[in-house]
Amino acid sequence: MRLSAGAWSRERPAALALAALLAVLSVAAPAFFSAGNLRDLVMASAAVQIVALGMTVVILTGEVDVSVGASFGLCAVLFGLLAQAGMPVPLAAVGAIFCGGLIGLVNGLLVGGLGLPSIVVTLALLAIVRDGQRWATEGAWVRDLPAGFQWFGLGQAGGETLVIAATALLVALLAWMLRSLPAGRAIYAVGSDAESARLAGLPPRLVVGSAFVTCGLLTGLAAVLNAIRFAEVPGALGAGLELKTIAAVIVGGTVITGGRGSVAGTVIGVALLGAIGTGLTFLGVSAYWEHALQGAIILAALLSDRALSRGRSAVA
Amino acid sequence: MTDVRRQELALGGILLAEILLFAAIAPNFATPQNAAEIVRLGVESGLLAIALTPVVITGGIDLSSGALLGLAAVTWGALWRDAGWSPEAAAGGALTVGAAGGALNGWLIARWNLSPLIVTLGSLSLFRGLAEGLTGGVDNYTGLPARFLWLGQGFLGGVIPAQAPWLAVIALAYWLLLHRSVRGRTYFAIGNNAAASRFAGVPVPRRLLEIYIASGVLAALAAIIYVAHLGQAKADAGTGYELIAVTAVVLGGTAITGGRGTIAGTIIGLATMVVLQNGLRLAALPAELAGVLTGALLILAIGAPRVRALLANAPPQSGETGDDMRNSQLAVLCGVILASAALIAGSNWWLVRSVERGHGATSATTTPAAAAHVSVAMMPKAKGDPYFISCRQGAEDAARETGVDLIWDGPTELDPAKQNEVVEAWITRGVNVVAVSVENQAAMSTVLRKARGRGIKVLTWDADAEPDARDFLINQATPQGIGETLTDEAARLLGGSGDFAIVTASLSAANQNQWIAVIKARLAEKYPTLHLVAIRPSDGDRDRAFAETQTILKVYPKVRLIMGIAAPAVPGAAEAVRQSGRKDVVVTGLSLPNMCKPYVHDGTIGSVVLWNTRDLGYLTVRAAAALAGGTLSRGQSSFPAGRLGTLAVSGDQVLLGKPFVFTKANIDQFDF
Repeated sequence: MRLSAGAWSRERPAALALAALLAVLSVAAPAFFSAGNLRDLVMASAAVQIVALGMTVVILTGEVDVSVGASFGLCAVLFGLLAQAGMPVPLAAVGAIFCGGLIGLVNGLLVGGLGLPSIVVTLALLAIVRDGQRWATEGAWVRDLPAGFQWFGLGQAGGETLVIAATALLVALLAWMLRSLPAGRAIYAVGSDAESARLAGLPPRLVVGSAFVTCGLLTGLAAVLNAIRFAEVPGALGAGLELKTIAAVIVGGTVITGGRGSVAGTVIGVALLGAIGTGLTFLGVSAYWEHALQGAIILAALLSDRALSRGRSAVA
Repeated sequence: MTDVRRQELALGGILLAEILLFAAIAPNFATPQNAAEIVRLGVESGLLAIALTPVVITGGIDLSSGALLGLAAVTWGALWRDAGWSPEAAAGGALTVGAAGGALNGWLIARWNLSPLIVTLGSLSLFRGLAEGLTGGVDNYTGLPARFLWLGQGFLGGVIPAQAPWLAVIALAYWLLLHRSVRGRTYFAIGNNAAASRFAGVPVPRRLLEIYIASGVLAALAAIIYVAHLGQAKADAGTGYELIAVTAVVLGGTAITGGRGTIAGTIIGLATMVVLQNGLRLAALPAELAGVLTGALLILAIGAPRVRALLANAPPQSGETGDDMRNSQLAVLCGVILASAALIAGSNWWLVRSVERGHGATSATTTPAAAAHVSVAMMPKAKGDPYFISCRQGAEDAARETGVDLIWDGPTELDPAKQNEVVEAWITRGVNVVAVSVENQAAMSTVLRKARGRGIKVLTWDADAEPDARDFLINQATPQGIGETLTDEAARLLGGSGDFAIVTASLSAANQNQWIAVIKARLAEKYPTLHLVAIRPSDGDRDRAFAETQTILKVYPKVRLIMGIAAPAVPGAAEAVRQSGRKDVVVTGLSLPNMCKPYVHDGTIGSVVLWNTRDLGYLTVRAAAALAGGTLSRGQSSFPAGRLGTLAVSGDQVLLGKPFVFTKANIDQFDF
């Protein structure tokens, strides 16, 4: 477990990569650290961060959820449609979050309840939700939204504060829950060994099901907080979000087979991937090579971590 | 093994049901030509799925195969065209790259014991990125020699698609390997328990390495067939194929956790998906149904055995015991029943909707085409794109006025391979006129010539094919006209000099790259003091355009103008400029007036360049109806286009007019 020998060892490769990137940027492109850019970076990463929190919980139980991107797109459009239909904006937001929770519940019932493999179930949900939405809306944008939609009517400064505060609060809350609450420890226990957890009196199926519902609710919330940054809702959002969040969680040191990992690692992972994207532009790297560099950095971080840990101890 | 066998049988039953259903409702579904077409559609993804089967049996996964296909395709193109190799030698080079990519995956997974999911996720990004970097996203290798194209487009003995034997041979080889060899048994052993296999003397790392290398080599073989099939090699080849392969493998009964699976199952799984898509196309039902149904089928395929076990009251694998189990099982069962009821209700609603729409403008699905009406099949580049959505509205107006049956279908996102599939299906179905907005000129022209050979009238609209592949082009504006108008607008808004940046669609988008080339030429020729400092991709995603614009504004503080050249990029860029509070920066570009209105009014967007998209759709269907009725032929100088009045015809082109510049003064007169 992460509190035992070598605390922070899981988060270290991502942290080191982030530190190295920031060091290069501070020399080559100090403008990266302007308050405006950092704020934009946090705002742009907020939605990914919130979905990645949900993904962390799911992956800690040893499962995975690839339906988050499709769910994100559906929740955003539903949020827009409800607001457009005249529902008060906060109530529409609750509706969208509920929709995310519902998709999470279906995942949770099939994976936790029936014991089906999560990658297949959520892959199926991805196809059903995304293609179903495409058919129903044909990709149309939701426009003519009420004035209180963008920034919840708080204005740009107020809205940005709200999004950043909500994200920070969720990060702190989830970190505390996973570390200190019985429910949080149950997630680690089930992810480490479901059978032992069951023998110890924990309900593994309920834990896995709840993890998916949590992830769904957080995805819905992320869709809402992302949507209010704009005055319209596009018909196709969230493509590739599942890969982005899974990559952030794993790069942050959470083990794909479950049981080990932390919220802190996920925050570092999101920051690293977000900083790579913008940072490479600041360094003047052509957009054409960005994907290749991103892939190379992820693989190099994984490999160096493994190589270093082999050198340190034979047990790892 | 019995579970796998049972699933194969069940899936075979579903496949049979699909075939019977489509034979009944889809015109020309049960014909030898269509059978050949179905085989041809399945070869590339089939090769990836076959290669994936042993990978999944060992408990691994390979998500990078689609990206490796793309990298191998552009490698082939670069070796053949740029390095002057023969097609065969270039194919050897592509296979080497495939083997190297597979070896990288295998080395990281087997030697360093890293999770296959993460490694191949990372290498997906790496391979796709290398393909984009090597080609600058722009290079598209076309003009391939005929003997090479035969491999993807020809027939053996007039009926068997030329690529089919490859699939058959590879499938047979993998069947022998997996189910009839000692080596094959070791894959199952590794999947069941890698540690135990190692203790039993199985060289686990070497076995893993070899199947990942084989997966890479087959991805390269699929790439070569893909290139010959489509007649082009581009960095985006094979996008999303990895998910098709994973779905086929799992649908075919291979356990995603390893240790269980068959090659036969994978092939039946793939056939179920391909037949479903082909049948829906021929029946003129929306292709999105295929995704929804495949998803439902996937859950059904893996859920049915578990539900059966629950019903038989056998404890599940990770089982609880005692009476409390019944309650939880009952709850789960109720949940599943509710979910499937919702699915069925949902699909009914969709079916009703599509039938209603059928009464409105499109063809009824149950009567054979061309029985009473003229049927016009019209294809956008991407159905989800707001630009094409507004074209469709005009098209349906014209269909109502002229009484033709309009079939509107195409890829949901930019996808040249899918465009070909749809036109092939229309040829088989037998429509009167095909009207296509062409994404890939070389490949589409081959298919359109085939359509003309069958007596189908062919129009191109929005983007052209090769001139001899179609009867008329509905010309809204040439790349030349668009690029020049955009550059002139930028010069006007900047007062003749200054820095600007472009936010494009994806880096490999063909149209956008043509425009960028014109813009660069125009800058060099007319505006030496106007500097294009950056080109950033938005992937047609407004939020990405927003973030890219924010970054551009900080990295290039001297930029005074952002030019968005994809419909969602312009409002995305405008919102970023507005939120930055930079009053000295203005946005222009190619977009839909309705998306940009608020920003045009507050001055963030200086101008929007576009033609009337509704009129473009309207004119296309008008011309299609006239072409079918014999009232439009070459040599005319004008064409009466209904509510648009009389438009000029020049040779084999019907002209809509010049690109239009929308500004604060006139934008409110338009609603699209």
